Amino acid sequence: MSRFIRKMSRRAIVQALVALPALKLFGNRPAMVDPDEIVEINGWILRRSDLA
Amino acid sequence: MIFDSYEAYKQAGFRPKACVLGSGPAGTTIARKLGAAGIPVVVLEAGSREFSDQSQDFYRGKTVGDFYFDLDITRLRFMGGSSNHWAGWCRVLDTHDFQPKAWAPDTGWPISRADIEPYLPEVHDILELPDFRPDVPVSDDIRWVQLIKSPAVRFGEKFADELDKSGNIAVVLNTYATELIGDGKRVTGARLWSNGQDAGAFSADYFVTCTGGLENSRLLLWSNERSNGGVVPNAAALGRYWMEHPTFEGGNAILANYSEFEVDDSNEAFFSPTLAAMERLRIMNFGIRLIESPYPNVKKLIADLACTAPSMAEWMSSKLDQRLRCAAQLYVAWEQAPLASNQIELSKSDVDHAGVPRIELHWKKSPLERRTLLEGLRLFGTTMAQKNLGRVRIDDWISNGGDYPTNEETAGHHHMGGTRMGTDVLKSVVDANCKVHGMDNLYVGGSSVFCTSGQCNPTTTITALACRLGEHLGKVIAV
Repeated sequence: MSRFIRKMSRRAIVQALVALPALKLFGNRPAMVDPDEIVEINGWILRRSDLA
Repeated sequence: MIFDSYEAYKQAGFRPKACVLGSGPAGTTIARKLGAAGIPVVVLEAGSREFSDQSQDFYRGKTVGDFYFDLDITRLRFMGGSSNHWAGWCRVLDTHDFQPKAWAPDTGWPISRADIEPYLPEVHDILELPDFRPDVPVSDDIRWVQLIKSPAVRFGEKFADELDKSGNIAVVLNTYATELIGDGKRVTGARLWSNGQDAGAFSADYFVTCTGGLENSRLLLWSNERSNGGVVPNAAALGRYWMEHPTFEGGNAILANYSEFEVDDSNEAFFSPTLAAMERLRIMNFGIRLIESPYPNVKKLIADLACTAPSMAEWMSSKLDQRLRCAAQLYVAWEQAPLASNQIELSKSDVDHAGVPRIELHWKKSPLERRTLLEGLRLFGTTMAQKNLGRVRIDDWISNGGDYPTNEETAGHHHMGGTRMGTDVLKSVVDANCKVHGMDNLYVGGSSVFCTSGQCNPTTTITALACRLGEHLGKVIAV
């Protein structure tokens, strides 16, 4: 165990573990989508913006 | 002069230097060129002046492989040949159609487009064509090309008077050359069949077979068999590399402004890929034909689009309200990869009334062509969407890799290859001048000499090659 963790209180470690699931929120941000991207859906060749 | 029988011709005492077999676009054009050069030429036409079931029966045959038309309905056996059912679409093969393509084996011609260009003004006169406009690039991948619908010249009708009045040209109807006789260096004669019986042997200094894209191979295969290789001494490619233009409905398009593309009386517009696009995708050439859709189809198409892209469908629907014409069916015709296995063979069990074996045509479309169909439609659809010219829907059977439908156009009735032009005697039958390799006096006219098919209808190129061969032969004979 590193010296850093040994210096942390048990309470701080528990709080950090509890907060971990919240990190997922940052990964759920919508990716940048190119509206001019060409997509093929149900045989149609469309611009992504057509799907709006 | 036109004779209705070989007997009548014999009595006239005409002495030809050259004999042309067949009176279709190639045969008639070559004979007219020779006649104009002052060279006496006889044209032997197996049929008569009009269609008859009896004559047509000689064309029956069998196809092995993919579904294809009955061989006695896909061509015509009477004066003027298959020009008698020609639809009239005209365009010359593109420059890149003559060039070898690294991704498709056995492509490339021994001549270039520049070799036939000097004859195009003459071709325009023969086919009654206006000038072609240059292609219009729609994107880096797609060109808007022009196919001109000519008056569909029937060669037998158009040139009958001229041929009849000519002192240098004798057309002999109802006279079928069943075989050529050769000694491995020269054709020494032909055996004829006329009025339902053997009509004996016939000789001339030069022979040109112009009997069509199926029949040229049949005649030469049979002649070679009978002469123990004396007619086509290098016969490895004889009958092989046969090609068509497979043609199927590939999908639909909704266009932002249909009139943006100038269309002809039948409201059809044509698109083809650029060489760069073919090279990048490693596909063959293709042509997409837009045919205006009837109104009920448009409504159905917009309803289908509404399920996938509602706002786009709404916009298209408003366009429809304004113009009542905004949708088209997409027909795709493509260039076949030349394959030695697509070939004409002689039937081992079935002969015609003159005892000549009928054709057994082995024909299959290749995986490269299937990819050309799908990628070609994607290419076109992508250009339409990127340029906001419209939206394309590809038919399910193509997207899902389904079987080719058997209830559609299937092909263009364009019979190409079989006696292809080239320098390699193992992969070609005639040289750049359409002379059979190793023979001094035997030439081939028509689309059977095509090395590749390009995407366009062949008659314009056939006529240009015939003008070129006629001029060449005129010089050879005059020496």
